[in-house]
Amino acid sequence: MAEMINLTINGKKVQAPRGKTVLEAATDADIYIPTLCYHPALEPEGTCRLCIVEVSGSLRKGIRVSCIQEVKEGLVVETETEEINKHRRLLLELFLGRSPDSPYLIDLAARHGVTSSRFLTGESNDCVLCGRCVRVCRDEIGAYALCFVNRGPDRKVTTDFERLSEYCIGCGSCAQVCPTGAIQVQDRGNERKISTWGQVFAKFKLERCDHCGTPFAPAKYLELINKKAYQPKGLELVDYICPECFKNRDRASEKRKASALRSSVVKWSVPR
Amino acid sequence: MDVQTVDKILDKFPDTTGNLIAILHEVQNHFNYLPEAELRYIAKKIDIPITQIYSIVHFYNRFTLSPKGKHEISICLGTACHVKGAGKILDELKEKLEINPGDTTEDMNFSLEVVRCIGACSLAPAVVIDEDTYGDLTPKKLTKTLSKYK
Repeated sequence: MAEMINLTINGKKVQAPRGKTVLEAATDADIYIPTLCYHPALEPEGTCRLCIVEVSGSLRKGIRVSCIQEVKEGLVVETETEEINKHRRLLLELFLGRSPDSPYLIDLAARHGVTSSRFLTGESNDCVLCGRCVRVCRDEIGAYALCFVNRGPDRKVTTDFERLSEYCIGCGSCAQVCPTGAIQVQDRGNERKISTWGQVFAKFKLERCDHCGTPFAPAKYLELINKKAYQPKGLELVDYICPECFKNRDRASEKRKASALRSSVVKWSVPR
Repeated sequence: MDVQTVDKILDKFPDTTGNLIAILHEVQNHFNYLPEAELRYIAKKIDIPITQIYSIVHFYNRFTLSPKGKHEISICLGTACHVKGAGKILDELKEKLEINPGDTTEDMNFSLEVVRCIGACSLAPAVVIDEDTYGDLTPKKLTKTLSKYK
Protein backbone atom coordinates (compact mmCIF):
# COMPACT_ATOMS: atom_id res chain seq x y z
CA MET A 1 0.00 0.00 0.00
CA ALA A 2 1.21 3.44 -0.90
CA GLU A 3 2.39 5.80 1.78
CA MET A 4 -0.45 8.06 2.94
CA ILE A 5 0.04 11.82 2.92
CA ASN A 6 -1.86 14.11 5.30
CA LEU A 7 -3.14 17.42 4.02
CA THR A 8 -5.91 19.85 4.72
CA ILE A 9 -8.39 20.94 2.07
CA ASN A 10 -10.85 23.69 2.98
CA GLY A 11 -10.23 22.97 6.65
CA LYS A 12 -11.01 19.27 6.19
CA LYS A 13 -8.31 16.75 7.12
CA VAL A 14 -7.69 14.56 4.08
CA GLN A 15 -5.45 11.56 3.44
CA ALA A 16 -4.21 10.63 0.00
CA PRO A 17 -1.60 8.18 -1.30
CA ARG A 18 1.76 9.66 -2.31
CA GLY A 19 1.83 10.65 -5.98
CA LYS A 20 -1.83 11.64 -6.14
CA THR A 21 -2.67 15.15 -7.20
CA VAL A 22 -4.42 17.72 -5.06
CA LEU A 23 -7.38 17.58 -7.44
CA GLU A 24 -7.69 13.81 -7.05
CA ALA A 25 -7.40 14.08 -3.28
CA ALA A 26 -10.12 16.73 -3.23
CA THR A 27 -12.40 14.74 -5.51
CA ASP A 28 -11.98 11.67 -3.30
CA ALA A 29 -12.96 13.80 -0.31
CA ASP A 30 -16.07 15.10 -2.12
CA ILE A 31 -14.65 18.59 -2.48
CA TYR A 32 -15.57 20.15 -5.81
CA ILE A 33 -12.94 21.89 -7.91
CA PRO A 34 -14.03 23.01 -11.39
CA THR A 35 -12.06 21.56 -14.32
CA LEU A 36 -12.12 21.74 -18.07
CA CYS A 37 -8.98 20.16 -19.54
CA TYR A 38 -8.78 17.50 -16.84
CA HIS A 39 -10.11 14.03 -17.61
CA PRO A 40 -9.67 11.11 -15.20
CA ALA A 41 -8.56 8.80 -18.01
CA LEU A 42 -5.87 11.13 -19.30
CA GLU A 43 -2.55 12.46 -18.11
CA PRO A 44 -3.25 15.93 -16.71
CA GLU A 45 -1.74 18.80 -18.62
CA GLY A 46 -2.80 21.80 -16.52
CA THR A 47 -3.67 24.02 -19.44
CA CYS A 48 -7.14 25.36 -18.67
CA ARG A 49 -6.18 26.74 -15.25
CA LEU A 50 -9.73 26.41 -13.91
CA CYS A 51 -8.66 24.04 -11.15
CA ILE A 52 -6.34 26.56 -9.51
CA VAL A 53 -6.24 26.48 -5.70
CA GLU A 54 -4.42 28.40 -3.01
CA VAL A 55 -1.75 26.45 -1.15
CA SER A 56 0.19 27.16 2.01
CA GLY A 57 1.78 25.16 4.80
CA SER A 58 4.48 22.89 3.40
CA LEU A 59 4.59 24.74 0.06
CA ARG A 60 5.27 28.41 -0.40
CA LYS A 61 2.00 30.27 -0.18
CA GLY A 62 0.60 30.84 -3.62
CA ILE A 63 -1.67 29.66 -6.37
CA ARG A 64 -1.12 26.22 -7.86
CA VAL A 65 -2.81 24.20 -10.57
CA SER A 66 -4.40 21.37 -8.61
CA CYS A 67 -4.56 18.81 -11.43
CA ILE A 68 -0.76 18.76 -11.71
CA GLN A 69 0.17 19.60 -8.10
CA GLU A 70 1.09 16.48 -6.16
CA VAL A 71 -0.07 16.12 -2.58
CA LYS A 72 2.51 16.98 0.08
CA GLU A 73 2.63 16.25 3.80
CA GLY A 74 1.24 19.18 5.76
CA LEU A 75 -0.15 20.97 2.70
CA VAL A 76 -2.98 23.38 3.36
CA VAL A 77 -5.30 23.90 0.39
CA GLU A 78 -8.11 26.37 -0.08
CA THR A 79 -10.27 25.90 -3.17
CA GLU A 80 -12.64 28.85 -2.98
CA THR A 81 -10.85 31.93 -1.67
CA GLU A 82 -11.85 35.32 -2.93
CA GLU A 83 -8.72 35.58 -5.04
CA ILE A 84 -9.20 32.13 -6.58
CA ASN A 85 -12.81 32.89 -7.41
CA LYS A 86 -11.79 36.17 -9.00
CA HIS A 87 -9.26 34.42 -11.24
CA ARG A 88 -11.69 31.65 -12.09
CA ARG A 89 -14.39 34.08 -13.08
CA LEU A 90 -11.97 35.88 -15.38
CA LEU A 91 -10.91 32.58 -16.94
CA LEU A 92 -14.52 31.59 -17.46
CA GLU A 93 -15.21 34.95 -19.03
CA LEU A 94 -12.32 34.40 -21.42
CA PHE A 95 -13.54 30.90 -22.29
CA LEU A 96 -17.04 32.27 -22.75
CA GLY A 97 -15.70 34.97 -25.04
CA ARG A 98 -14.44 32.21 -27.27
CA SER A 99 -17.39 29.82 -26.99
CA PRO A 100 -20.47 31.88 -26.09
CA ASP A 101 -22.83 29.29 -27.60
CA SER A 102 -21.52 26.19 -25.85
CA PRO A 103 -24.21 24.95 -23.43
CA TYR A 104 -21.59 23.17 -21.34
CA LEU A 105 -19.55 26.32 -20.90
CA ILE A 106 -22.58 28.54 -20.30
CA ASP A 107 -23.63 26.17 -17.53
CA LEU A 108 -20.15 25.94 -16.01
CA ALA A 109 -19.74 29.71 -16.06
CA ALA A 110 -23.18 30.29 -14.60
CA ARG A 111 -22.31 28.03 -11.66
CA HIS A 112 -19.55 30.50 -10.86
CA GLY A 113 -21.74 33.53 -11.35
CA VAL A 114 -20.47 34.39 -14.82
CA THR A 115 -23.29 35.06 -17.26
CA SER A 116 -21.70 37.41 -19.76
CA SER A 117 -18.28 38.05 -21.19
CA ARG A 118 -16.32 41.18 -21.95
CA PHE A 119 -14.31 39.28 -24.51
CA LEU A 120 -16.87 38.43 -27.18
CA THR A 121 -15.37 38.49 -30.65
CA GLY A 122 -18.52 38.06 -32.68
CA GLU A 123 -17.33 34.58 -33.53
CA SER A 124 -18.20 31.42 -31.70
CA ASN A 125 -16.34 28.15 -31.59
CA ASP A 126 -17.25 25.37 -29.22
CA CYS A 127 -13.66 24.16 -29.06
CA VAL A 128 -11.94 25.56 -25.98
CA LEU A 129 -8.56 24.08 -26.95
CA CYS A 130 -8.34 21.97 -23.80
CA GLY A 131 -6.44 19.33 -25.75
CA ARG A 132 -8.33 16.34 -24.37
CA CYS A 133 -8.93 15.02 -27.89
CA VAL A 134 -5.28 15.41 -28.86
CA ARG A 135 -4.17 13.67 -25.68
CA VAL A 136 -6.59 10.75 -25.88
CA CYS A 137 -5.68 10.13 -29.51
CA ARG A 138 -1.97 10.31 -28.75
CA ASP A 139 -1.66 8.67 -25.33
CA GLU A 140 -4.55 6.24 -25.05
CA ILE A 141 -5.36 5.24 -28.63
CA GLY A 142 -1.86 5.72 -30.02
CA ALA A 143 -3.22 6.83 -33.38
CA TYR A 144 -1.66 10.32 -33.40
CA ALA A 145 -4.35 11.56 -35.76
CA LEU A 146 -5.02 14.95 -34.15
CA CYS A 147 -2.70 17.83 -33.38
CA PHE A 148 -2.66 21.49 -32.52
CA VAL A 149 -1.50 23.92 -35.17
CA ASN A 150 -0.67 27.63 -35.12
CA ARG A 151 -0.23 29.74 -32.03
CA GLY A 152 -2.14 32.20 -29.91
CA PRO A 153 -5.52 33.23 -31.28
CA ASP A 154 -4.97 31.12 -34.42
CA ARG A 155 -4.48 27.87 -32.52
CA LYS A 156 -6.72 25.06 -33.63
CA VAL A 157 -7.19 21.31 -33.63
CA THR A 158 -6.69 19.54 -36.91
CA THR A 159 -4.99 16.62 -38.66
CA ASP A 160 -1.67 16.49 -40.47
CA PHE A 161 -1.84 18.90 -43.40
CA GLU A 162 -5.47 19.53 -42.51
CA ARG A 163 -6.77 16.79 -44.75
CA LEU A 164 -8.65 13.53 -44.24
CA SER A 165 -6.57 11.62 -41.75
CA GLU A 166 -5.07 8.33 -42.76
CA TYR A 167 -4.13 7.68 -39.13
CA CYS A 168 -7.53 8.17 -37.52
CA ILE A 169 -9.05 4.79 -36.68
CA GLY A 170 -12.55 6.16 -36.23
CA CYS A 171 -12.91 5.15 -32.58
CA GLY A 172 -14.57 8.45 -31.64
CA SER A 173 -12.67 8.76 -28.36
CA CYS A 174 -11.88 12.36 -29.19
CA ALA A 175 -15.57 13.18 -29.39
CA GLN A 176 -16.23 11.28 -26.21
CA VAL A 177 -13.68 13.16 -24.10
CA CYS A 178 -14.50 16.55 -25.59
CA PRO A 179 -16.14 18.57 -22.81
CA THR A 180 -18.05 20.89 -25.13
CA GLY A 181 -19.06 18.56 -27.95
CA ALA A 182 -16.89 20.36 -30.48
CA ILE A 183 -16.07 17.09 -32.24
CA GLN A 184 -18.90 15.28 -33.97
CA VAL A 185 -19.12 11.64 -34.93
CA GLN A 186 -21.87 11.05 -37.46
CA ASP A 187 -22.92 7.58 -38.52
CA ARG A 188 -25.14 7.56 -41.56
CA GLY A 189 -25.90 4.19 -43.11
CA ASN A 190 -22.59 2.39 -43.24
CA GLU A 191 -20.48 5.53 -43.25
CA ARG A 192 -18.90 7.30 -40.29
CA LYS A 193 -17.72 10.89 -40.51
CA ILE A 194 -15.78 12.66 -37.78
CA SER A 195 -15.49 16.41 -37.88
CA THR A 196 -14.30 19.42 -35.92
CA TRP A 197 -13.65 23.06 -36.73
CA GLY A 198 -15.96 22.69 -39.70
CA GLN A 199 -13.65 20.14 -41.25
CA VAL A 200 -14.51 16.48 -41.81
CA PHE A 201 -11.21 14.97 -40.79
CA ALA A 202 -11.98 11.28 -41.10
CA LYS A 203 -14.32 9.07 -43.10
CA PHE A 204 -14.89 5.36 -42.63
CA LYS A 205 -16.93 2.50 -43.93
CA LEU A 206 -18.62 0.79 -41.01
CA GLU A 207 -18.32 -2.96 -40.72
CA ARG A 208 -21.55 -4.88 -40.22
CA CYS A 209 -22.32 -6.83 -37.10
CA ASP A 210 -22.12 -10.54 -37.94
CA HIS A 211 -25.25 -11.17 -35.91
CA CYS A 212 -27.79 -8.49 -36.72
CA GLY A 213 -26.20 -7.00 -39.83
CA THR A 214 -26.19 -3.42 -38.56
CA PRO A 215 -23.17 -1.34 -39.55
CA PHE A 216 -21.47 -0.40 -36.27
CA ALA A 217 -17.70 0.14 -36.28
CA PRO A 218 -14.80 0.92 -38.64
CA ALA A 219 -12.42 -1.95 -39.37
CA LYS A 220 -9.36 -0.09 -38.09
CA TYR A 221 -11.06 0.41 -34.76
CA LEU A 222 -12.03 -3.25 -34.46
CA GLU A 223 -8.46 -4.16 -35.19
CA LEU A 224 -7.31 -1.93 -32.33
CA ILE A 225 -9.74 -3.69 -30.02
CA ASN A 226 -8.33 -6.99 -31.20
CA LYS A 227 -4.82 -5.78 -30.49
CA LYS A 228 -5.50 -4.18 -27.13
CA ALA A 229 -8.19 -6.38 -25.61
CA TYR A 230 -8.02 -9.78 -27.28
CA GLN A 231 -4.45 -10.53 -28.24
CA PRO A 232 -2.94 -9.84 -24.79
CA LYS A 233 -5.21 -12.65 -23.54
CA GLY A 234 -4.09 -14.95 -26.33
CA LEU A 235 -7.39 -14.50 -28.16
CA GLU A 236 -8.25 -13.28 -31.63
CA LEU A 237 -11.21 -11.11 -32.59
CA VAL A 238 -12.80 -13.31 -35.24
CA ASP A 239 -16.38 -12.21 -35.03
CA TYR A 240 -17.77 -8.72 -35.40
CA ILE A 241 -20.43 -8.18 -32.80
CA CYS A 242 -22.15 -4.88 -32.14
CA PRO A 243 -22.66 -3.70 -28.53
CA GLU A 244 -26.39 -4.48 -28.74
CA CYS A 245 -25.87 -8.09 -29.82
CA PHE A 246 -23.00 -8.42 -27.37
CA LYS A 247 -25.41 -7.73 -24.53
CA ASN A 248 -27.84 -10.33 -25.84
CA ARG A 249 -25.27 -12.90 -26.84
CA ASP A 250 -25.83 -16.49 -25.83
CA ARG A 251 -23.85 -19.65 -25.71
CA ALA A 252 -24.87 -20.58 -29.23
CA SER A 253 -23.26 -17.48 -30.66
CA GLU A 254 -20.11 -18.23 -28.71
CA LYS A 255 -19.92 -21.54 -30.48
CA ARG A 256 -20.54 -19.94 -33.84
CA LYS A 257 -17.74 -17.55 -33.11
CA ALA A 258 -15.30 -20.38 -32.68
CA SER A 259 -16.20 -21.98 -35.99
CA ALA A 260 -16.38 -18.86 -38.13
CA LEU A 261 -12.73 -17.93 -37.95
CA ARG A 262 -12.19 -14.84 -39.96
CA SER A 263 -9.22 -15.41 -42.17
CA SER A 264 -8.58 -11.88 -43.34
CA VAL A 265 -7.91 -9.68 -40.36
CA VAL A 266 -7.75 -6.04 -41.39
CA LYS A 267 -4.22 -4.73 -41.26
CA TRP A 268 -3.69 -2.10 -38.63
CA SER A 269 -0.32 -0.81 -37.61
CA VAL A 270 0.62 1.98 -35.27
CA PRO A 271 0.61 4.90 -37.69
CA ARG A 272 3.68 7.01 -37.54
CA MET B 1 10.93 13.50 -53.56
CA ASP B 2 14.60 13.93 -52.85
CA VAL B 3 15.31 10.92 -50.64
CA GLN B 4 19.07 11.16 -51.00
CA THR B 5 19.31 14.68 -49.63
CA VAL B 6 17.05 13.89 -46.70
CA ASP B 7 18.95 10.71 -45.92
CA LYS B 8 22.21 12.63 -46.02
CA ILE B 9 20.82 15.17 -43.53
CA LEU B 10 19.44 12.47 -41.27
CA ASP B 11 22.80 10.69 -41.27
CA LYS B 12 24.39 13.75 -39.69
CA PHE B 13 22.29 13.30 -36.57
CA PRO B 14 22.87 10.21 -34.47
CA ASP B 15 19.99 11.06 -32.16
CA THR B 16 17.31 11.84 -34.70
CA THR B 17 14.40 12.22 -32.27
CA GLY B 18 16.16 14.80 -30.12
CA ASN B 19 17.43 16.70 -33.14
CA LEU B 20 14.15 17.05 -34.97
CA ILE B 21 14.29 20.83 -35.05
CA ALA B 22 17.88 20.86 -36.30
CA ILE B 23 16.90 18.38 -38.99
CA LEU B 24 13.95 20.53 -40.05
CA HIS B 25 16.26 23.54 -40.24
CA GLU B 26 18.67 21.73 -42.56
CA VAL B 27 15.85 20.42 -44.73
CA GLN B 28 14.38 23.88 -44.99
CA ASN B 29 17.74 25.41 -45.81
CA HIS B 30 18.15 22.95 -48.63
CA PHE B 31 14.68 23.12 -50.17
CA ASN B 32 13.91 26.70 -49.13
CA TYR B 33 10.79 25.32 -47.47
CA LEU B 34 9.50 22.09 -45.91
CA PRO B 35 7.91 19.94 -48.60
CA GLU B 36 5.13 17.61 -47.46
CA ALA B 37 6.52 14.45 -49.04
CA GLU B 38 9.89 14.97 -47.36
CA LEU B 39 8.25 15.62 -43.99
CA ARG B 40 6.24 12.42 -44.27
CA TYR B 41 9.39 10.54 -45.20
CA ILE B 42 11.26 11.98 -42.18
CA ALA B 43 8.37 11.06 -39.88
CA LYS B 44 8.54 7.43 -41.00
CA LYS B 45 12.30 7.33 -40.91
CA ILE B 46 12.79 8.73 -37.41
CA ASP B 47 9.60 7.31 -35.97
CA ILE B 48 7.91 10.53 -34.91
CA PRO B 49 4.22 10.86 -35.76
CA ILE B 50 3.65 13.24 -38.69
CA THR B 51 1.03 15.12 -36.67
CA GLN B 52 3.69 15.96 -34.09
CA ILE B 53 6.06 17.24 -36.77
CA TYR B 54 3.23 19.19 -38.40
CA SER B 55 2.46 20.78 -35.03
CA ILE B 56 6.09 21.79 -34.52
CA VAL B 57 6.42 23.20 -38.04
CA HIS B 58 3.36 25.33 -37.38
CA PHE B 59 4.61 26.46 -33.97
CA TYR B 60 7.86 28.03 -35.08
CA ASN B 61 7.64 31.05 -37.34
CA ARG B 62 10.93 30.15 -38.97
CA PHE B 63 9.49 27.04 -40.62
CA THR B 64 7.39 27.34 -43.73
CA LEU B 65 5.37 24.80 -45.68
CA SER B 66 5.21 26.84 -48.86
CA PRO B 67 8.21 27.73 -51.03
CA LYS B 68 9.94 31.01 -50.16
CA GLY B 69 11.53 33.41 -52.60
CA LYS B 70 15.23 33.55 -53.41
CA HIS B 71 15.62 36.60 -51.18
CA GLU B 72 13.89 37.06 -47.87
CA ILE B 73 12.95 40.59 -46.94
CA SER B 74 12.16 41.21 -43.27
CA ILE B 75 10.83 44.64 -42.58
CA CYS B 76 11.05 45.86 -39.01
CA LEU B 77 7.86 47.35 -37.62
CA GLY B 78 9.18 47.69 -34.06
CA THR B 79 8.52 50.86 -32.10
CA ALA B 80 11.53 52.85 -33.30
CA CYS B 81 11.10 51.90 -36.96
CA HIS B 82 7.38 52.50 -36.73
CA VAL B 83 7.97 56.02 -35.43
CA LYS B 84 10.54 56.69 -38.14
CA GLY B 85 8.07 55.75 -40.87
CA ALA B 86 8.43 52.01 -41.44
CA GLY B 87 4.79 52.04 -42.48
CA LYS B 88 5.68 54.00 -45.60
CA ILE B 89 8.52 51.62 -46.37
CA LEU B 90 6.15 48.68 -46.02
CA ASP B 91 3.62 50.34 -48.34
CA GLU B 92 6.40 50.94 -50.84
CA LEU B 93 7.51 47.31 -50.61
CA LYS B 94 3.96 46.04 -51.04
CA GLU B 95 3.47 48.23 -54.07
CA LYS B 96 6.83 47.42 -55.64
CA LEU B 97 6.64 43.69 -55.13
CA GLU B 98 2.87 43.45 -55.46
CA ILE B 99 2.62 41.13 -52.48
CA ASN B 100 1.41 41.21 -48.88
CA PRO B 101 3.53 40.27 -45.87
CA GLY B 102 3.90 36.50 -45.68
CA ASP B 103 3.72 36.10 -49.44
CA THR B 104 6.23 35.50 -52.21
CA THR B 105 6.51 37.30 -55.53
CA GLU B 106 5.38 35.46 -58.63
CA ASP B 107 8.92 35.24 -60.01
CA MET B 108 9.97 33.63 -56.71
CA ASN B 109 12.61 36.30 -56.22
CA PHE B 110 11.36 37.91 -52.99
CA SER B 111 9.45 36.88 -49.86
CA LEU B 112 8.17 39.60 -47.58
CA GLU B 113 7.85 39.25 -43.85
CA VAL B 114 7.03 41.68 -41.07
CA VAL B 115 9.12 41.43 -37.88
CA ARG B 116 9.05 43.26 -34.57
CA CYS B 117 12.38 44.89 -33.78
CA ILE B 118 15.62 43.52 -35.11
CA GLY B 119 17.70 45.36 -32.53
CA ALA B 120 18.87 47.95 -35.02
CA CYS B 121 16.82 50.85 -33.69
CA SER B 122 19.60 53.37 -34.40
CA LEU B 123 19.21 52.52 -38.08
CA ALA B 124 15.45 52.94 -38.08
CA PRO B 125 13.60 52.43 -40.31
CA ALA B 126 15.43 49.21 -41.14
CA VAL B 127 14.96 46.26 -43.45
CA VAL B 128 16.87 42.98 -43.50
CA ILE B 129 17.36 41.31 -46.86
CA ASP B 130 18.79 37.81 -46.49
CA GLU B 131 21.65 38.47 -44.05
CA ASP B 132 22.22 42.16 -44.73
CA THR B 133 20.66 45.03 -42.82
CA TYR B 134 19.75 48.30 -44.54
CA GLY B 135 19.02 51.32 -42.35
CA ASP B 136 17.86 54.93 -42.58
CA LEU B 137 15.65 53.91 -45.45
CA THR B 138 13.47 56.11 -47.57
CA PRO B 139 11.24 54.85 -50.36
CA LYS B 140 13.86 56.14 -52.80
CA LYS B 141 16.76 54.38 -51.10
CA LEU B 142 14.67 51.23 -50.91
CA THR B 143 14.19 51.12 -54.67
CA LYS B 144 17.94 51.38 -55.12
CA THR B 145 18.57 48.62 -52.58
CA LEU B 146 16.03 46.28 -54.14
CA SER B 147 17.57 46.66 -57.58
CA LYS B 148 20.69 44.95 -56.21
CA TYR B 149 18.71 41.76 -55.74
CA LYS B 150 17.22 41.35 -59.19
